Amino acid sequence: MDGLKRRLNDSLQLRLSFWLSAAIVLVAALAGVFSFVSAFHGANELQDNTLRQVAALFDRQALPAIDGAEMRGSDEETRVVVQHLTDKTRAGDSGDTRAALPLRADLPDGLQTVEIEGEAFRVLVKTTRFDERIAVAQETGVRNEIARDGALRTVLPFMGLVPLLLWLLANLVRKMFRPISALSAALDQRSDEDLYPMDTDSLPAEVRPFAAAINRLLGRVERSMKAQRRFVADAAHELRSPFTALSLQAERLAQLPLGADASERLHTLRGGIERGSRLLEQLLTLARAQETMAPSTANVSVGAVVRRVLEDMVPLAQVKDIDLGIVGSAGIDDIHIPMDEIDLVTLVRNLVDNAVRYTPPGGKVDLSTSTSEGTTVLQIDDSGPGIAPSDRVRVFEPFCRLQGSEQTGSGLGLSIVQAIVLRTGATIALDYADSRTPSGLRVQVRMPQRAGAAR
Amino acid sequence: MRVLLVEDDTMIGEAITSSLKDAAYAADWVKDGNSALGSLACQHYDLVLLDLGLPGQDGLVVLRSIRARHDAVGLLIITARDGLDDRISGLDGGADDYVLKPFDMNELLARMRAVLRRKTGKAEPLLGNGTLSLDPATRQVTVQSGTAIGLSNREFALLQALLVRPGAILSRSDLEDRIYGWGEEVESNAVEFLLHGLRRKIGSGSIKNVRGAGWMVSKDG
Repeated sequence: MDGLKRRLNDSLQLRLSFWLSAAIVLVAALAGVFSFVSAFHGANELQDNTLRQVAALFDRQALPAIDGAEMRGSDEETRVVVQHLTDKTRAGDSGDTRAALPLRADLPDGLQTVEIEGEAFRVLVKTTRFDERIAVAQETGVRNEIARDGALRTVLPFMGLVPLLLWLLANLVRKMFRPISALSAALDQRSDEDLYPMDTDSLPAEVRPFAAAINRLLGRVERSMKAQRRFVADAAHELRSPFTALSLQAERLAQLPLGADASERLHTLRGGIERGSRLLEQLLTLARAQETMAPSTANVSVGAVVRRVLEDMVPLAQVKDIDLGIVGSAGIDDIHIPMDEIDLVTLVRNLVDNAVRYTPPGGKVDLSTSTSEGTTVLQIDDSGPGIAPSDRVRVFEPFCRLQGSEQTGSGLGLSIVQAIVLRTGATIALDYADSRTPSGLRVQVRMPQRAGAAR
Repeated sequence: MRVLLVEDDTMIGEAITSSLKDAAYAADWVKDGNSALGSLACQHYDLVLLDLGLPGQDGLVVLRSIRARHDAVGLLIITARDGLDDRISGLDGGADDYVLKPFDMNELLARMRAVLRRKTGKAEPLLGNGTLSLDPATRQVTVQSGTAIGLSNREFALLQALLVRPGAILSRSDLEDRIYGWGEEVESNAVEFLLHGLRRKIGSGSIKNVRGAGWMVSKDG
């Protein structure tokens, strides 16, 4: 019972079906009762009329009131008994005791219901012109049967229609709830960044206020998310001035004649300041990457962007003696994709920066591009340790650091990449560059070549 | 050379003024727009370094007032505002350059020199990256202040293309475009051949190959 109760509370559809069925059954029962009562009255009236007519017939025609005379019908129940109402002895003389009813002689004139030998009879007692008292009687069973039949005929169609009604009801309810289930499916498919209000026009009026309330909530969530991102950007912005002051002072300090120890510590200090400034810039980049912007309509050359990123990264690669280059560069300049140039530069730079950073000295970083079926694939392979399959989701979280990594990156590179990937309708996949060892990281970014694939 | 620094941050202001003095500039430092306009009214400056986030009057307003009254002075904006709109309104408002915080003092000094050169009309003809310097007039290259080395026309064209923006990677077709005129037939391996000759003359490490991408001369020699 509890289970049913809970399920009823869960499902509006089930609740509707349950209560509507209950209402139908109740109405059927009431209709049955009403029908029974009215049929009973009708039958009663009919029987009384029959008895009156029979009595009148006997009176007018002055038929000999043969004691125990029967108006035989088709069966036992419908037979009408006509007899003199005298004392028992006379009634007993008739010889046909089978038909004569043992009626008391002192029955008053008029209609009455009399119980004889456990069966109810309707009896009309009448005094004829000849001052004889005759009784016309019929069993009440027939009357009850007519009333019962009438009630049953009223209730039966209801009962038969209940399953059909339930089926119809379930279908109708499901159909009416379809816009709502379609809406929830659409909401489920949205990305985390998509906080646009949903379309309420196609919804039934009853649900629209609810949807409007959800829209208002979405709006508030979006505003607070924006505020939070703006705060991060503003904070990073504000920190620029003190970091400038710090690095300028450290730069001035480096110009002084210092001892070997002091120089070394200053070098470490400047490295720390450099790291802080880099983190600030990455925070700002992430905040910018997470901003929702209209999809880019301009095309950008992948080759030009890759070269621009290499220009920036070659010095770092040379310091670490890493062989950084493009594989199969033929035709790379002919690949154009609909993406904001700053987005693509940021994306490629962060990926190449990661590759160079996590590849040990003397290693190799390869960039390659290919196109197939309207998709441009940018692939970056390095000869570093790679990322284990179990960590491949976690690394996209901000400030995620994998165990055993000694690198001092900002921890935001892949978060920035993912933010751009999400916004531009691209996809990103991580794998081992060398699956046999297994080692090396292979990053594949698939970018739609036609505008409009992005949201 | 007299420089006016308009900066409200004490630490940055101190560091820049000291560095300017070290670099043999006469530097005055004010902390808001009104003082800057006052100083400019009674003293000649060659250069103004202007922060945008000033208390009271915004830097861009100060910039417009300066330009309205002192047309000739060289002006660099130093700011933490990195929005494209800020840069555009800064440069449109009459700034000669826009330096983003955080910056290295060396970079600021280099940009100041560039602005001063433009203002005085003495554009430096030499192309170079600190190690190499190329004189378009004589078509000679000097390696680390050594003796001048003569170059062929095509060698010169190739090195000039690379030295226009040190650190930039130029692909084979980029270089061929620079070396050959319209309608000239491109010889196969011409770029490699020229590079081989150039490297022999100016040192093999001076022009670097980036695998699959092209060639570059490094930014800082």
